[in-house]
Amino acid sequence: MLGVADACFLIDWARFRRRELLANLFELVFVHEEVLAQIRSPSAIDFVSRLLARGALRLYPWSAAEEELYVQIRDEVALDPRIPSLERPDLLCLVIAYRTGGALLTENLGVLRVVQFHPTYSRVSAWTALEVLEQMVYKGLAEVRSVEDFISLVSEYCEDTKHVFSSRRMGEVVERVRAWLAR
Amino acid sequence: MAGKVRPPPELVEEWEREDAEFRELRRRSADWKFIEEQEPRVRLALLAYIETGDRYLAARLAGMTLGEFDEVRVKAGVVCVT
Repeated sequence: MLGVADACFLIDWARFRRRELLANLFELVFVHEEVLAQIRSPSAIDFVSRLLARGALRLYPWSAAEEELYVQIRDEVALDPRIPSLERPDLLCLVIAYRTGGALLTENLGVLRVVQFHPTYSRVSAWTALEVLEQMVYKGLAEVRSVEDFISLVSEYCEDTKHVFSSRRMGEVVERVRAWLAR
Repeated sequence: MAGKVRPPPELVEEWEREDAEFRELRRRSADWKFIEEQEPRVRLALLAYIETGDRYLAARLAGMTLGEFDEVRVKAGVVCVT
């Protein structure tokens, strides 16, 4: 499985006590060089450096064709006041995810909203850390025997990163995990 | 042209409800004493983040990169919500 990580995701995930599991979930995670430029905190630099050294994270070879896609999506949605915080680095990640078929790892609310309605980009799988934790359960990377175990796993993430999830997102994921546990 | 692809109204209404929920979570989690003690530019950035949830905007207001601002956000106890 391929992933494409944006800066907010990497910055938050780098604080998580189980951050190393990311490299076990994905064969390869792509990152754009403009995303790397946003990462300055010691914990995030250390995490990203180790992923790059292991070959688990790789700089994406950005092309002129992809730049055209970026300009197009920017013109279509980035100035819509109802969609927050659509900055260039995060839109580049959306384009990379679309082109590679990789899961987009993002904590950018604007990007998460674009994939909810955009006719082209709605085919992109956009995951927050919550959906990444969910996938880790399915892949056996996190031992979870009950919904309570899963909620405890999510609580670890929230505690380490000062990041919480909306009641809607949490409810949807918990129901999927519940169904998976009952299979 | 901007706005060529528009979200449906029912989705916009859902987002407005979400925005209110997220803003309240950020306000409740904040260490207001810590925020008041910051220099004006950082204080403004934290207040903007609490109200909008926009990390890029807040980082720019603070004159920081995204990563640098996020260190301040965590110290201020303000949760990020998605």
